[in-house]
Amino acid sequence: MQEPRVEKGSGTAVYSGQDLREMFTAATSWLEKSVPDINALNVFPVPDGDCGTNMLLTMRSTLEEAYRAPDSDAGAVAQAMARGALMGARGNSGVILSQIFRGLAQGLEGHDSFSGKDFAAAFAKGSTVAYKALTRPVEGTILTVARDASTAGREASSKGDDLVPIMEATVAAARESVANTPTLLPILKQAGVVDAGGQGLYVLFEGALLHLKGDTETMQVRRPRVVPSNIPLVSKFPQLMTDKEEPFGYCTEFVLEGHKKLNADKIKKSLTNEGLCLIVVGDENLVHIHIHTFDPGRVLRQATTLGILHEIKIQNMDDQHKEYTEMVKAQAPPPEIATVAVVSGDGLGQVFRSLGVSAIVPGGQTMNPSTREMLQAVEAVPQDKVIILTNNKNVIPAARQVRGLTSKKVKVVPTETVPQGVSALLAFNYDADLKTNAAVMEDAVSAVKTIEVTRAVRPAKIGNLKILHRQAIGFVDGELKVAGDKPAQVLLDVLEGLGTEKSEIVTVYYGKATKRSEAQEVVEGIRQKHPNLEVELVYGGQPYYNYIASVE
Amino acid sequence: MVRIVTDSASDIPPEVAQDLQISIVPMYVRFGTEVYRDGADLKTDEFYRKLVASRTVPTTSAPKMKDFSEVYDRLAEETDEILSIHLSSSFSSAYEIALRASGRTKKECHVEVIDSRTAAMGLGLVAIAAAKQAQKGISLQQIVKTVKGATLRARVYVCFETLEYLRMGGRIGKAESLLGSPIKVHPIVGLEDGEIKPLGRERSRSKALERLCDLVSESANVSSLAVEQGAAPNEADRLHSRLTALYPGKPIYASMVGSAVAVHTGPRVVGVCVLGG
Repeated sequence: MQEPRVEKGSGTAVYSGQDLREMFTAATSWLEKSVPDINALNVFPVPDGDCGTNMLLTMRSTLEEAYRAPDSDAGAVAQAMARGALMGARGNSGVILSQIFRGLAQGLEGHDSFSGKDFAAAFAKGSTVAYKALTRPVEGTILTVARDASTAGREASSKGDDLVPIMEATVAAARESVANTPTLLPILKQAGVVDAGGQGLYVLFEGALLHLKGDTETMQVRRPRVVPSNIPLVSKFPQLMTDKEEPFGYCTEFVLEGHKKLNADKIKKSLTNEGLCLIVVGDENLVHIHIHTFDPGRVLRQATTLGILHEIKIQNMDDQHKEYTEMVKAQAPPPEIATVAVVSGDGLGQVFRSLGVSAIVPGGQTMNPSTREMLQAVEAVPQDKVIILTNNKNVIPAARQVRGLTSKKVKVVPTETVPQGVSALLAFNYDADLKTNAAVMEDAVSAVKTIEVTRAVRPAKIGNLKILHRQAIGFVDGELKVAGDKPAQVLLDVLEGLGTEKSEIVTVYYGKATKRSEAQEVVEGIRQKHPNLEVELVYGGQPYYNYIASVE
Repeated sequence: MVRIVTDSASDIPPEVAQDLQISIVPMYVRFGTEVYRDGADLKTDEFYRKLVASRTVPTTSAPKMKDFSEVYDRLAEETDEILSIHLSSSFSSAYEIALRASGRTKKECHVEVIDSRTAAMGLGLVAIAAAKQAQKGISLQQIVKTVKGATLRARVYVCFETLEYLRMGGRIGKAESLLGSPIKVHPIVGLEDGEIKPLGRERSRSKALERLCDLVSESANVSSLAVEQGAAPNEADRLHSRLTALYPGKPIYASMVGSAVAVHTGPRVVGVCVLGG
């Protein structure tokens, strides 16, 4: 950019209205490069279609007005920008952005030119105004990012009046705040993304900073990167048996120019029951209204009694949602072969989901699922090639029945235990065909030994073992090996008799009725007795079995 | 003689680069406000210490235009033909920036820039193959043809300790499907024509190493190999001797994952790079 003017004697740069325009022009072109990335951050359910596009359009309208304002007067340029933002605001984030510009204009009012300190103070005002505009401000959104960034800007401005370090602090804080949004907003955490609006604001400030520093090379050859979330992603596999989806209605937005003086609070009250996500912002002459409603006609009719409508935009959000889900599908095509596993226990379910299983049929020991239940799962997955992992000996016959009842190609990999199922699933090859995969998965089963520990439901004598009612008993690959009083001790005894010289890893899944502290003690015991083994403790949540362990 | 230039994301061992007269332009690695030139200001073992100790997640960026220009101008004193082969444009703007710099040498010099569509020693092996041809006095035109073919046959297979670094750097691509598991797994990821692909998971490191050998054997004709490691020297040694037995007489380079690549791969990675014949 042009060298800012330096005021005599002070040594600090001051910026004109023209500088303000140029700064946000650069910021907007930086944002433009990021629009597809920001659009892709949208989470289901889609509150407003394409956040990146909305913010860009809002910025364009902001700049159009900015260039109509008298040249050098910073206050007047900011005023024009606020007006342009309000007129052109689109979507939730766009409307909030317009409020930030409104506050910025209030802060710069009467300033011919501004310093770093002035800008920091004005931006802080912008953040406050944006918070006030919403009846129920939500944290983990663009609002939080605006607040965190402006706080950092204010702090930096107490150390010096130069705009560049102030903007550096602002951008760094915005970035950190964006990364933190999934911690604050559960829906982001579930989707494994950061907030799109917050990301947009961060990109705008980053663009402004690059311009201030004169880094045109970066602006030309690079593009903004999406801030990664600061919490590890939980598994992102699509839930195939989804709940019924609620319709979203119409996203309705317009600017109202009053016949007489407008009262935003009054309008807000009158529209509260018309829909969701209501935002009413503006001044006594112009008000921007945003609402998600099933009856846009009613909202518009009500508004026309108060004044003239401009910039009317009505979008069917159900269509948007459909487009969005299709876009997501196109981004990550699922493997051509689906896997269906029979599993019980929430912890084990999580393990199988994380390893990419397409659908889970609840069931296992003492509660074998029916052929019909497995058939339903096979029919529900979108793929027409399906592998069923039975994970229990008694489930295999019913699973084999599924093959004759569907037009899909189905292979049963007859795993008899949960660890066998895990092994088989790990062997799944993304590139191989159905037949090869079924064979590879079946092969993988032999690499693992399964230990199961439960309590006897009746007294019995098997071989040399005499078992009392409720006594703990331990199996290796379905064969009874040890009886004892405590499940934990039985698990240790079974491992002792197994011969683990060639093994590397023991994974212990503890059941629903087993205390974590007890399980931790067992694992400690295994580590002491078998220092060569890597031992892992995982919550399985399975009924019936106190412990299921895999040795491989 | 045609001179070969690449960037530090090629992970070519320094002595090999020196032998073959390959010029390496360093990438940048940033920890918060500290910026380092990969390999030059920050030695690799020092980097791993920082990676584990640092609370801020490091980031990388491509060399600047002037970094490329300096190297091209220096080489232009000795040659009038340069071949500059770079980290896949799907991960970095290095190729684009090199391309811009290529038209601006002070002295008249033809600089050909190629997007390798690969990374690490996948890129390294391509550059090494080009340098060997250059030393034989083969023409630029001919080398370009070989290199373009080689980039399509370069494969990188990596066993990760965690995919979190790849995710945080925004380069995880389709391997996202291997993320997030309550049980400990070692994800195996491939790189082919600029794209990251999920290949599978193993429960133990030794099985993972076997899987890497299996993957190498899928390449029809192996002309050269490299074993790479980041803070996992023993496993790399095991893999190296396995491969030596499987491919007697083939060159197998031993390389350490440099900091620019390691920012995205994290600690304890072992990989094998293959150049098909």
